[in-house]
Amino acid sequence: MIITKKIMTSVGSAALMATLNISSGVAMAQDGPLRGNIRVVIGSTSTGGDTYQNSAIVVDQLAEKLDLNMKVDAVGASSAFRTLDRDSRGNTLMIFHDQSYLGHLYGVEGYDDIFDKYTVGPTLAINPGNAYLVPKNSPYETLDDVIAAVGNGETVRVAIQPGGVSEIGFSALKNAIAIEHPGQEDNLVAVNTGSQSDKNQQLFDGQADVINGSVQANEQYTRLPEDDQKAMRFVWLTARQDTIEQAPEEGLGQTSREQLLEYVEPNVHVTMGDDESFTFDKEFFFLYNKDMDPAIVEQIDEALAEIYAEGEIQEIQKNAFFIPNFKPSDEASEYLADKMARYEEIISNIQ
Amino acid sequence: MEFLSLLDITFFLLAGLGALVGIIFGAIPGMTATMAVAVCLPLTYALGLHHGLALLLGLYVGGISGGMVPAVLLNIPGTPSSITTTFDGYPMAQKGEGEKALKICVIASVIGGLISAAILFLFAPLLADFSIKFSYVEKFLIILLALSVIASLSTSMLVGIFSGVIGIWLSLIGDYSISDGGNGKTRLMFDFMEPYLFEGFSLLPVLIGVFGISTILLEAEKGAKSGLVSERIKISKGGGFSLSVFKGRLTNLVRSSFIGTFVGMLPGVGGSAASVLAYTQEKNLTRDSSQMGKGAPQGLIASESANNALTGGALIPLLSLGIPGDSTTAVLIGAFTLQGIQVGPLFIPENPETWYVMMTALVFANIVMFFLMFYAIKYIAKVVMVPKHILFPIIVMMCVVGAYAINYGIMFDVWTLLIFGILGYLVQKIGLEVAPLIIGFILGGQAEVYFVKSLESFGTYSIFFTKSPIAMVLWGLIIASLMFAIVMGFNSRARQKMELTQVTGSTHTASGKGHDTN
Repeated sequence: MIITKKIMTSVGSAALMATLNISSGVAMAQDGPLRGNIRVVIGSTSTGGDTYQNSAIVVDQLAEKLDLNMKVDAVGASSAFRTLDRDSRGNTLMIFHDQSYLGHLYGVEGYDDIFDKYTVGPTLAINPGNAYLVPKNSPYETLDDVIAAVGNGETVRVAIQPGGVSEIGFSALKNAIAIEHPGQEDNLVAVNTGSQSDKNQQLFDGQADVINGSVQANEQYTRLPEDDQKAMRFVWLTARQDTIEQAPEEGLGQTSREQLLEYVEPNVHVTMGDDESFTFDKEFFFLYNKDMDPAIVEQIDEALAEIYAEGEIQEIQKNAFFIPNFKPSDEASEYLADKMARYEEIISNIQ
Repeated sequence: MEFLSLLDITFFLLAGLGALVGIIFGAIPGMTATMAVAVCLPLTYALGLHHGLALLLGLYVGGISGGMVPAVLLNIPGTPSSITTTFDGYPMAQKGEGEKALKICVIASVIGGLISAAILFLFAPLLADFSIKFSYVEKFLIILLALSVIASLSTSMLVGIFSGVIGIWLSLIGDYSISDGGNGKTRLMFDFMEPYLFEGFSLLPVLIGVFGISTILLEAEKGAKSGLVSERIKISKGGGFSLSVFKGRLTNLVRSSFIGTFVGMLPGVGGSAASVLAYTQEKNLTRDSSQMGKGAPQGLIASESANNALTGGALIPLLSLGIPGDSTTAVLIGAFTLQGIQVGPLFIPENPETWYVMMTALVFANIVMFFLMFYAIKYIAKVVMVPKHILFPIIVMMCVVGAYAINYGIMFDVWTLLIFGILGYLVQKIGLEVAPLIIGFILGGQAEVYFVKSLESFGTYSIFFTKSPIAMVLWGLIIASLMFAIVMGFNSRARQKMELTQVTGSTHTASGKGHDTN
């Protein structure tokens, strides 16, 4: 009986403490227009991917700063857009990356023009790891070899996931071949596939000559001995040179920043014409319901500005191989609209 | 042995707590191991990698095991991988052997889990190299082999195949997702359905509807004559549980555990295929398969040892290739990602402490799961003592809450549950077969992707036969499985005919005697 009373007292105290905690939290949160429980949906169904990882870092910091209960939900792009459509109160926010407008440019079902249908929020970080790889025993040592081979009439198959970040590098490569070797661009063939494991498998099976991957997912494969069926080699990182220069010096795994710089411009040149080289930085940003209270946009901008000014988040992001890249909503919207126009040109060139 | 310093009391408490919470998640229809791991994933920030992994692996093992409880007692697969547990578990519960059935499941589960952990520990990198030999073609053939179970499970093969085709058709409704390398276009629906059916029907609401709601509708149709379920069902009627039930079933136990581990290590194939394959193989290879589907312990052993063995199997590609083997390990990879650790082919040699910690957590979680479930089962099994008029509304409520929760609050999933509940009821009324339908639904989507991608990659139908020796072996197994089902079908029909002749003969004799007497 004594034990029961003790347990009852403990449980009661814990419940009381929890209630008080929740009450005080709610009271503090109610100071701003953003209140209650906030669900941050992301355009990926994976909790192991970069979108979840980066969103978790940002949301964790925001929740602490605003003293709100915020949770990241990996629901996938179409579900996330539909969820965002339904909630104009601000209790549902979305974090996604360039796929949100690239999907629209590529005509993927379920993707609308984000600049028309939603409010584009602040940018948060760059993932500099968008990469293209070949088997370690491939005859193509560099991306120039790939371009030259396609120009000479060889068919080169590239495994990508269609309609987004994975395809934009492929489109740019095709565009470059069309400029340098007009009429040969059809020799570059897309092998439409799904997850990273599917793309890797296409390489292991010899069904693709080049695959889209990432520094994070594929770096360990590049360190395998050449006689291993799984061994790969980077030939191209789409990131800008100054983006990679901001990456931690030790790089990722045992691949240093110095080594990664070998695979970006100017060492790798994918022409867009007029001496301009194609680069692509995969950037994460908030998306909001169009009818959401503008005061919430402002509140999140201010909170993030403070968080980034404090500097802790940059350390966390860099440790996770992200490049911190905060731009407030207005600036971000303009910047991303320009970025979209730039890639729209490439896509329309090759269609 | 440096990893021993990481194994403190908190580590074991978290693994044990994970197993307990996982069992609860698995036991509630609609809640899954994947959901349990996803909900607790952010805790890995606070707990750190090793403590976080202890919790998440406990949740994984518990979540998979917990699915057996509603499968046996309520005929509702708690998780998609416990679908074959319903085939024999529920008939046993109806015969008053619920506790016995659950104890068989628990023992099969722990042995399956431990065998797969041992295989993971000893052969992970080697098996990862083997698993990459399975391309789209071989994966399609594995799914085809699992689909051949439809022939074995059906009482009438034609009806069974028809039901399976309906299941496959239902699974193809929605978009051909770009995340599968598709074109993102929707099919098999009208335009007005797109807002609801863009991603097709969710698996769990369909599963719970077809099995759970339809069972309740069928029971409701009979009326509340019996008042108490306990009047009809006793928890431990008859002999009760004895370890002797495993006598002569060791081959089944080990084979099913190997099948579960093997299927687990093939990324994308999934747990439901593991238990379905193990069940088919037992049905095809056992001397007496006539009782399977009517309450045979060997069916439970096959199903539960295979689905728990999946846990170790699915960790093989995760830790050796950086590729998750199933949906739960896909969430688990998040724990590594959040800690900034990359899993890949060099993960095990570069992170020996984490590797040993994971193995310890996996084994410990299996042992905790065993003790928790084995000794609590007689209390859990008492659920069948609850009067129908109280039990059924609670089940419906749990089903609805589970369906609503599965995609974090999509009301259409509740409608899916109800639609498929009614469909399941009608299907049984008009004589179609539920199990082939649902197996078709579970495996149809994967079969499509692997079939289309095989053709896209290789450009010829002959590749399905000529791709590799593995493909040829798989064809052999598919043909053997179908032949076996056909032969068994003929034998069963001949036996029925003989029994009918004997009954008719004796009736005639009896009536003849009657005449004589009169």
